[in-house]
Amino acid sequence: MEILSVEGLSFTHAGCSEPAVRDVSFRVREGELIVLCGATGCGKSTLLRLLKPELAPNGTQHGRIHFAGTGSGAARIGFVMQRPEQQIVTDRVWHELAFGLENLGVPQEIMAARIAEMASYFGIEEWYDRDTASLSGGQKQLLNLAAVMVMEPELLILDEPTAQLDPIAASEFIAVLHRLSRDFSLTILVAEHRLEELIPLCDRLLVMEAGRLILDDAPRQAAHALRHHPARLCAMPAPVRLGCLLGTERLPLTVREGRALTAEYACKPPEPAETAPRRTSPALTLEHIRFRYDRACPDVLQDLNLTVHEGEICCLLGGNGSGKSTALGVAAGLLRPMTGEVRVFGKPLRRYRDGALYRECLAMLPQDVQTLFLRHTVREELADAGALGMDFPFDLSYLYDRHPYDLSGGEQQLTALAKILAQKPRLLLLDEPTKGLDAAARQTLTGILRQLQAQGVTLVIVTHDAEFAAQCADRCVMFFRGQAVCTDIPARFFSSNRFYTTAASRMSRGILSETVTVEAIAACCRTSGGAPC
Amino acid sequence: MKAFSDYHPVVLAVYFAVTAGITMFSQHPVLAGISLLGAVVLFLVRNGRKQGMSHLLFLLMLAGMALINPLVSHNGSTVLFVMNHNPVTLEALLYGISAGVTMTAVLYWMRSLSQIMTRDKLLCVCSRLSPGLALVLSMAIRYISLFAAQARKIHLAQKAAGRYGDHSLIDRIRGGMRIFSVLLTWALEHGITTADSMEARGYGSGKRTQFARFRMGTGDGLLLAGTLLTGGLTCGGMAAGALSFSFYPRIVWGEVTPLTAVSLLSFGLLTMLPVIIEAKEALAWKYYLSRV
Repeated sequence: MEILSVEGLSFTHAGCSEPAVRDVSFRVREGELIVLCGATGCGKSTLLRLLKPELAPNGTQHGRIHFAGTGSGAARIGFVMQRPEQQIVTDRVWHELAFGLENLGVPQEIMAARIAEMASYFGIEEWYDRDTASLSGGQKQLLNLAAVMVMEPELLILDEPTAQLDPIAASEFIAVLHRLSRDFSLTILVAEHRLEELIPLCDRLLVMEAGRLILDDAPRQAAHALRHHPARLCAMPAPVRLGCLLGTERLPLTVREGRALTAEYACKPPEPAETAPRRTSPALTLEHIRFRYDRACPDVLQDLNLTVHEGEICCLLGGNGSGKSTALGVAAGLLRPMTGEVRVFGKPLRRYRDGALYRECLAMLPQDVQTLFLRHTVREELADAGALGMDFPFDLSYLYDRHPYDLSGGEQQLTALAKILAQKPRLLLLDEPTKGLDAAARQTLTGILRQLQAQGVTLVIVTHDAEFAAQCADRCVMFFRGQAVCTDIPARFFSSNRFYTTAASRMSRGILSETVTVEAIAACCRTSGGAPC
Repeated sequence: MKAFSDYHPVVLAVYFAVTAGITMFSQHPVLAGISLLGAVVLFLVRNGRKQGMSHLLFLLMLAGMALINPLVSHNGSTVLFVMNHNPVTLEALLYGISAGVTMTAVLYWMRSLSQIMTRDKLLCVCSRLSPGLALVLSMAIRYISLFAAQARKIHLAQKAAGRYGDHSLIDRIRGGMRIFSVLLTWALEHGITTADSMEARGYGSGKRTQFARFRMGTGDGLLLAGTLLTGGLTCGGMAAGALSFSFYPRIVWGEVTPLTAVSLLSFGLLTMLPVIIEAKEALAWKYYLSRV
């Protein structure tokens, strides 16, 4: 049964001349799981908001949206947005769950029953009494989903729900969505950048570009149609990209299918990975660092030792709470370790006086780059930092008159980067720079970091993103319980990890050795139709 | 079977308001003493030997009030001795002791109150007064902690960006003002998403209900009735003048009538209600264990 139909929908924001959505038509049948993808700014969010009457933006709309649900009011369509923190309204978990039902005027007994049911379905019972501020990002987003689900929506719309989550929380969230779709035949429409896990699960893939719906098909057919579209292809999961590189007719969607493909096409062993990079003098040394946030809390860093050499890109990986970001804060002189010594370019931190550390020496890009912005336009922001006339490996001039908060995630990241590059750092610390970026922005960032490295900047990057680390790092360090447990070049680091690794490594394990990117696998394979080698 | 702190928040609020209210508005030293006894016993029953040192502090405060009053107030007819040409009187000393006891008693009730009335319970009481207020408070509490966390993040990010050195006071003040102004922008930005999220979940679409985490049970009704009955009797006695007492110019006990006795007894019962409930529960638990 058809639950939603959109016909010839066009929309122009009030005060804009260009339409954000152009002539979009599609239909949604009950119980479908549909993924909507497209680059940042392609009109995904506007389209999704138009579908939910309470959130429809101001502007002129043409065309028809017909929702065939039986219920009425705000409960019919559930909507979950990107930022987990900002959607939470109240201070306690139980109150947040009740909020929607209170608004609908649901009587007490029904409310209690529904909340109890949802809390146990989502596994919220254990933190039912907690403060919403004390939850992790993944828990917050799960709470947002549960708070919408108690209202028993017929259609669930999610706008990039996992963009701000780390990969493990994100896969848990997607698993919950899959369970909702499977167990309740709930109709789900989700816009997402992270397609690795969603594509194998979804029924249909909608692709938008510049406000138009350019593709609406089953995922395998959709991926096939995109194979000659490099800008869109980079957002596709690793198995799809491998299939495209090899030119196979049937594109693999999952790691299992990709693995079968690798086994079939692999024809020569990979070039041996380069030996350990040449040792230069250390740029950053952490020795026997212990740190805790509070006397009553356990140590976050326990006798941490870490050395980063000049001119390298070093990625710190590890689970939540393993101390990666704390180590970065200690290295940047923002957190004072209880014991141990931090040296930057051979000189102990305490001997840098009066902010000398932050002038032409060390700079840090925080996780939330919005915390760097103090002004009303990008131009003022850069002028403030003395970065206006500087030469960057990227161009920002087209953003000069916008408010920094109005930029997309990728644009904010670059503006913030420009601001801290004005300090002319020789050592650059980055905390989760790829969080919330789409695939294209991630590629741009990788290129920029490589260029900075070529200019002689040493980079230390905390990241959860294994694909990103495999592409740009010279060396990867694994954090576990406040210690650096293993260090290696990415090819060996990711090929020795089973779980914390890239999709490409999982596709080629045991068939090829030390191939951790799709390109590396493709280099060892013959192409489809090509002669076996 | 439930502890005193598990009773319905509204009942607890009424209990503390009545008890502390009577203590504050009565001048009768015996009543003040009864109240102090009840308050301290309740606190000890709930906390045991924990916070032992804090009791000493309250005792010192009581002694301080008792001693300071005769030094500043020279009313009263029984002069004990003269200091700096000022008479120190027995009445002023006794008044000081009585006022000290009253104040300590009220403070002890408040200590228990602040332990028992957690944020959720306070909001429950607020929502009885005004449903809108409870939601606003709940959102405000959330915003304050978010605001503080964001201010700290901005401060650290700006410090690492080397914008504001720690060396000059003016720099720091200027930095602080910048952070404050950008926090306001951030809060507005944040507020828009929150408002969307509220509207998406039907806020403002019609009449709201309140999800009550706490249900009124028979026990709650009994405690409420007991509070109102014993408190009412005491108040009645006060209104009828059975608990009149004056310190100045000389100490005058009001006539001790049966009503005085009834008022004081019912007040004693009122102050002991929590302890009785706790004791009953402890006994019931022991009995239950012995049967297992």
